[in-house]
Amino acid sequence: MIGSVSSGKNLNVKPVKVSNLNHYKCMTNIKHLSLKKANIRRTCRIMRVFLLCFMLGISFCFSNNSYSQSTKLSLNLKNKTIKQVFSEIEKNSEFIFFYQDDILDVNRKVTVNADNGTVEQILNEVLSATGNTYFVSDRSIYILKEKTVPVVEEVIQQQKRQLTGRVIDNQGEPIIGANIIEKGTTNGSVTDGNGNFTLNVEDNAILQISYIGYLSQEIDTGGKTAFDITLLEDTQALNELVVVGYGIQKRINLSGAVETIDRRQLKNRPLISLAQGLQGVAPNLNIDFVSGEPGQTALFNIRGTTSINGGEPLIIIDGLPASSSELNRLTPEDVSDISVLKDAASAAIYGARAAFGVVLITTKTGTKEGIYASYNNNFTWSKPSILPDKFHDPYVYMRLQDISTSNTPWNYISYTDAEYEWARERSNNPNETTGVRIDPNNPKVWEYMGNRDWTRYFLDDFTFSQRHHLQVDGKTEKINFYLSAAFDDETGALKLAEDFYNRYSLRSKVDYKLFNWLSVGNNTLLTLNERRKPSSLSIHGLYNIAPTSWDKNPDGTWANETVGILAAQLTSGGTHSDKYNSFQTTFVGEARFFNDALKINTDYTIRRGNQNFNWNQLKYIIGYGPDDIREVGSNRARRQAGFDTYNVFNIFSTYNKTFDENHQITALVGFNQEYNRTERFEAERGDVLSASLPSIALATGEQSVNEKNLTWATRGYFGRFGYIFDNRYIFEFNSRYDGSSRFPSGKRFGFFPSASFAWRIDQENFFMPLNNIFSNFKLRFSYGALGNQNVTEYGYIPTMNPYVFDWLVEGKRPQAVSTPALVSDNYTWENVRTTNFGFDVGLLDDRFSGTFDLYQRNTTGMLTRGKALPAVLGASPPNENAADLTTNGWELSLTYRNRFQLGGKPLNFDARFILSDSRAWITKFDNPDRNIGQYYVGYEFGQIWGFVSEGFFKSTDEIGPLDQSRVIPWGTLNIVPGWPIFGDLDGNGIIERGTSVDAPKDLKIIGNNSPRYRFGFNFNFDWKGIDVRTFIQGIGKKDYYPEHHLFWGFYQQPYQGGYRHLLDFYRHEDDSESLINQHSQVYLDLGLHKANHDAKFPVLQAWLADEEVGNTGLAHPQTGWLMSAAYIRLKNVTIGYTLPQKWTQSKFIDSIRLFVSGENLYEWSEVKKYYDPEAITDDGQGYQYPFQRRYSFGVNVNF
Amino acid sequence: MRKIIFTLSMILLTTISCNDENFLDQFPETSIGAENFFKTENDLRMYMYNLYSFPTISMYTEDGKVTTDNAASTAISEIKSIMLHSNPTSETFGAGWSWGTLRSINFFLHYFNNNNLSEDVLNHYEGLARFFRARFYMNMVKRFSDVPWYDQLIGTADKELLYKERDPRSLVVEKIFEDYEFSSKNVKSSTLTGEVNKWVVLSYMARDALYEGTFRRYHPELQLDATAEVYLKIAQDAAKEIIDNGGFDIYSTGDFDSDYSSLFNSTNLSNNSEIIFANSYESGIRNNEWWNFFQNYEISPSRDLVHIYLMTDGSFFSSQQDYEKKLFVDEFKDRDPRLKQTIAYPGWIYGRTGTPYVFPGELSRFFTGYHLIKGFENHTDQGRTYSLDNPIIRYAEVLLTYAEAKSEMEQLTQLDLDITVNKLRHRVGMPEMFLNPNVDPIKEAKYSNVKISSQWKEILEIRRERRVELAMEGFRFDDLMRWKAGKALEKPPVGLYIPGPGNYDMTGDDIPDIKILALSDDIPPTIGEREKNELGVTLLYYRIGPVGSNAEVYVTEDEKGYIVGEENRGTFVEPKYYYKPIPYSQTILNPNLKQIFGWE
Repeated sequence: MIGSVSSGKNLNVKPVKVSNLNHYKCMTNIKHLSLKKANIRRTCRIMRVFLLCFMLGISFCFSNNSYSQSTKLSLNLKNKTIKQVFSEIEKNSEFIFFYQDDILDVNRKVTVNADNGTVEQILNEVLSATGNTYFVSDRSIYILKEKTVPVVEEVIQQQKRQLTGRVIDNQGEPIIGANIIEKGTTNGSVTDGNGNFTLNVEDNAILQISYIGYLSQEIDTGGKTAFDITLLEDTQALNELVVVGYGIQKRINLSGAVETIDRRQLKNRPLISLAQGLQGVAPNLNIDFVSGEPGQTALFNIRGTTSINGGEPLIIIDGLPASSSELNRLTPEDVSDISVLKDAASAAIYGARAAFGVVLITTKTGTKEGIYASYNNNFTWSKPSILPDKFHDPYVYMRLQDISTSNTPWNYISYTDAEYEWARERSNNPNETTGVRIDPNNPKVWEYMGNRDWTRYFLDDFTFSQRHHLQVDGKTEKINFYLSAAFDDETGALKLAEDFYNRYSLRSKVDYKLFNWLSVGNNTLLTLNERRKPSSLSIHGLYNIAPTSWDKNPDGTWANETVGILAAQLTSGGTHSDKYNSFQTTFVGEARFFNDALKINTDYTIRRGNQNFNWNQLKYIIGYGPDDIREVGSNRARRQAGFDTYNVFNIFSTYNKTFDENHQITALVGFNQEYNRTERFEAERGDVLSASLPSIALATGEQSVNEKNLTWATRGYFGRFGYIFDNRYIFEFNSRYDGSSRFPSGKRFGFFPSASFAWRIDQENFFMPLNNIFSNFKLRFSYGALGNQNVTEYGYIPTMNPYVFDWLVEGKRPQAVSTPALVSDNYTWENVRTTNFGFDVGLLDDRFSGTFDLYQRNTTGMLTRGKALPAVLGASPPNENAADLTTNGWELSLTYRNRFQLGGKPLNFDARFILSDSRAWITKFDNPDRNIGQYYVGYEFGQIWGFVSEGFFKSTDEIGPLDQSRVIPWGTLNIVPGWPIFGDLDGNGIIERGTSVDAPKDLKIIGNNSPRYRFGFNFNFDWKGIDVRTFIQGIGKKDYYPEHHLFWGFYQQPYQGGYRHLLDFYRHEDDSESLINQHSQVYLDLGLHKANHDAKFPVLQAWLADEEVGNTGLAHPQTGWLMSAAYIRLKNVTIGYTLPQKWTQSKFIDSIRLFVSGENLYEWSEVKKYYDPEAITDDGQGYQYPFQRRYSFGVNVNF
Repeated sequence: MRKIIFTLSMILLTTISCNDENFLDQFPETSIGAENFFKTENDLRMYMYNLYSFPTISMYTEDGKVTTDNAASTAISEIKSIMLHSNPTSETFGAGWSWGTLRSINFFLHYFNNNNLSEDVLNHYEGLARFFRARFYMNMVKRFSDVPWYDQLIGTADKELLYKERDPRSLVVEKIFEDYEFSSKNVKSSTLTGEVNKWVVLSYMARDALYEGTFRRYHPELQLDATAEVYLKIAQDAAKEIIDNGGFDIYSTGDFDSDYSSLFNSTNLSNNSEIIFANSYESGIRNNEWWNFFQNYEISPSRDLVHIYLMTDGSFFSSQQDYEKKLFVDEFKDRDPRLKQTIAYPGWIYGRTGTPYVFPGELSRFFTGYHLIKGFENHTDQGRTYSLDNPIIRYAEVLLTYAEAKSEMEQLTQLDLDITVNKLRHRVGMPEMFLNPNVDPIKEAKYSNVKISSQWKEILEIRRERRVELAMEGFRFDDLMRWKAGKALEKPPVGLYIPGPGNYDMTGDDIPDIKILALSDDIPPTIGEREKNELGVTLLYYRIGPVGSNAEVYVTEDEKGYIVGEENRGTFVEPKYYYKPIPYSQTILNPNLKQIFGWE
């Protein structure tokens, strides 16, 4: 019997990947299928039956027989339908029936009388009249037609006419494993590795072509015998499967706020990290980079302000929590799916660390039958996006520097006439005047007079980076696998020395079906990355150089000047190399029971990381004078070794069942356990003997060693219960009971429940009239609580830390230990509750779709200073769960997708716009006086308390009446004409900073520096092998007050400056005739010798904006120089061209695509005159490693 | 069935293997909990270093930073702000109410004897901790007078302690000297180099007792005058103990012009007979900072200080004819050799340039024209790492304490003078001091309250000796406070005298180095138009004018007078400003804390 069934291989039906959940349903479900349903289901079912028999048959046939023979049943049924008999048997035993509706008349009435009979006996009796036969495999009973397999007969009978064809996708790539079915029959075929198929059909047959993830097509064969079929991707978001916590759901069945990111948005951009690609593509997934440094990790945030202690979303890669730097080790090409879980309901299953959302990343697996390979690369040229706009005239620089200190107590910058003379000559005749000479007053030393913007001397306009990615993947009946290797080399902007981040990564992912019910797999990732740069690289150093500086002496040695010294340090002053090797392997197992109704998944992961950090500082050569070349600096070497251990164990079990067609139930329970340990050991020693071998072993100086180990562990129990009624009402409950080692044992565990509900209005009868417009309309509501454990490892344990004491005992610096801090008993999880309301809309067959969510997130019990205690306590009051905040926000995404015929070829087009906003307030904080200096109830995050600027004093007389003495930096600068006037808001004649909200004196809230209205716009089309993508991203509203000397130059400190925007400063009167005679032509051309009362900036006075004292002068925020840091950035444009197949078709190559891409191409912003707008997004002051514009090209080859 | 059993047993197995109850107990490994510490003497020693807090090289700027009559400064000091403020209150001037150090000390005293160490060792460390507690409380008393006394570790639940009121000064000081007493009896006289020993304890004890004794004597508002002698006696006894048994001596090789300065310019003071305690540095191991205060940065010595140095014959500078109009070069002629070892004198060679010092920015608004060289390493090597040792306690101070305590008790004898003041004078070749000295009218005016003592003339001269010997070492502010001489702070410090426009010699070679112009004159813009001196060096040009003008140098009168920066130093309200208010926020948190002496 089994032998005859296995003859199913005669069918023209090959196994395909069965990823539709329907296919996994148990017979109880299938037997309710009506005959009207498409034959394709039947085909699959049959195929499944055979597979099942084939695979289970041999290994289990003995045990099968033993179960069926040892199981005795007593049935006495009179005049019942066969259906009733079967269900009676199922009830009284473990047997399950499988059959096709069209081969068995289940409504036929039969009578059964069995007393302690075997199931065979009963079935023989029941089926004796129907002509059917059966076979038993373990607990499954398959009802078949007698003697022959019906499908085989059908195929043979219907063989009439042979068709051939090829199925491709809109990229021209063959679709492998697509189903070709002759409509109205079970006759079908599957495409091979090249997308080709052959099928014998009747005349005038209609072909149905389908493939998961693509729209099905019907083609009238109408006499033709060869077909080229292009399947379009299924743009219907409804049936899209979405990765959620510990499972997969259909998008249509989601009730929480879950966003998915189309990985095509990442494709072919010159991304070194996935985070770069995620920026601006999902509303309220806020990703910021604080700098453009190679290997820079991103700051992740979901939905705005989280906690005063911070709190990033949990990033999960293949079920494994990952840090932002871990994410940096992931090759973007390896990523398959990304989901963002935003509300508490969808994140609750992750409990402990998911309080502020989850980013779920799944890597690729082999999905197509056969073996495939592809190779991608790109080559990128980068240049700094925005650098400070500096003038390079030496005379102007020196004169302004001199002026800036002249009316201060510290007037020590004054140049001699000889120096001015030289500067003027260099300025007026740059080519005929030397920039370096022997000091006329001291023939032993060089003297310099540079005239250039030295920032650009150090930063390269075209640095070269490259990426390569090779993948091999595929699938057979038992195995699917994915192997990839990638090499990325990201070069920084520094010109003189090595400055790069590179990464090698290898991934191997294999799943093996051990038995039909059990599969095991492994996912292993090996990455090696290195950041190398000069040990003395300082961006401040590169931005702050005076134009008068100089690089090299005539004898070729580095000049004894800022530039020369910096260049010497960069080229020979030592290197910083930080290597990190990470090895991670995950073993997974999946067992499926009861026709996949019950699944048990388990995985165990081991990650070991090791850091190898080498740093050394070496002496370098500086030429002081023609015969005075010195070696300066010191030789030091430092090494740091790090060992990171991370183990994760997960086990969870899922149960899915549908009752009576209308009741769909999902239940999940699970257990998770994590252990993390980091160990750092470092050693340093001075006086390295040889600069060519800067190692600790060859050093003789003072040495120091240190060690730091940190461990944490979490353990959680979680569960989910979902219920869907009639595809209209969707309920879901999630909860987690989580424990963390970061809390004292009594306060260690927290319980975090959540619930969500969705209503598919479009499924309601009353909505039917609108269904030709609305393809989807769903309301969602959720509420849930989560815990935040974003605190240090041992925050509740008072500890004493050893340190090297700054004092000499017996000629050495001894070890000392510190006094422990106070800790509190009131120390446990911060509680985060989110309420979410949202709706999803799809219009016109989902060509247009939109999602909107409105939320409120309350973070309560934030760990902070508890109730204020008298200072005699002698320590900061310990942190307690004492403060609350509320974040309100919304997010919107709109998508439009369509397809036109243009010039006889399909044009696919899609556009997506996202927009989000959030604001946050403190709702509880122990600050009864509402002191402005700290949080208080009603404090809005980002708010800027400032003065109102009212122009400048125009004369000495104006100064007298207003007492501004309390806002004078250092209390000592003179208030002179041109000094800024602060608005006297309280009218008392004194400018003062109030201390509390209720008595702010002359302060008021003048703006808010939280980024708001973050948006992204994506626009893609492809046509005739050409594909174009543009991506625009930005921030709609953000105030910014500059406090740093990158903006304020000489106003802050007289050592740094030369920014062009500051030339428009207040000048009370024209320069005297004799002074004008000293000025250079450039100085005069700029009009700097003339009075300037209508200036943007006040009188040039050094320290007026000194942030060291802060809260005074220009260093205190005020309306006059408050800027909008909103920006729009043309983030990416990619244009690709897939070569026509006829050019590339060969034995090995399937397709070739060439592309060019540009990143950070242009931006619009008020602050772009001074900084890259992204450099100040996170309270930055713009002093950042320059962001890069990147221009790249590359090729994708599929084999 | 088999597969279910298989799966279940696998689950059971893994669950059992994970079921480790202590899994969530993770404790620190690279830091220590107090219960496991304080087991060995080395543990006690390591913790004790945590309490060390002694002056650094910035001790030389202290007199300027905190505002005294010794220096002019552009820095904003607390007392300057208070004096200039129309209505200072605890809301604006609440500082110094920091108790972290006390907690560290009491934490130690709570845990340190949780071991089997010998009594001898335990007493030594208890003594050290109590020494630091005495010093801590003395600073609190200096600032607040009445403060709550705590000799135990306070927890967040100790409501009574947290909210208690101030203890009276008399009680707190009594406790302080109980601590000192214990400490001086139990701290070993010989410890590792760089560690606090018995002599360090006694020195601080003497210093603080002198402070308290004189403070009580001159501040009748405390109504503790009667007990002043108790502390003067403690000061005297502690100092005497050091003199008799400490084995220290004034460092003197007979070189009047460098013995004194070598105490401040030495990279190794460890074997110096005068140094009781030093803050030591060692190149490459612990580098000192470069002495950047030498240039016009923040502070410069005042003419007031320059004037108190005696003439080499022992007469007062103020006895010189027209002493108030002496030029810079003349001021340094025939003076106590310590002047030239404290302030850059005409002709002093600046190591970096190798030429007599006329710094381009030497004259400037806000500064005096005098430059401190105490503690300045006058070196030529730019790449040098600095490792000057800072003398924290000199034997000289102990001698001065002894002399002052004796004179305040009206018991000073010539023998006392010979073993104290005269030892200091011998070192620099100055004439000896005798009982019943002449009276300098300037000093008499400054310390008019001194006449309550029968030995007031001696006291005045001992105070001069103290100010000269310890000039710019950070003692001046406390001295003015305890002598109730706060009014001396009201006078804006001035610098050198400029009789009007003209050419002046700054290096002592009679060749002019600078040219002073009137405010109405223009400085010739190009170098060629400027005057050169006989050596062919172009003169440095300055215009002088009143404060607030755009002159390069401010002077006290329109076109002549003393260089001056600050016009007004406000009013020193007595006795209120000898005390500071408790921060307003603290009095709100603990209403039992009341302000005293008119502070609100």
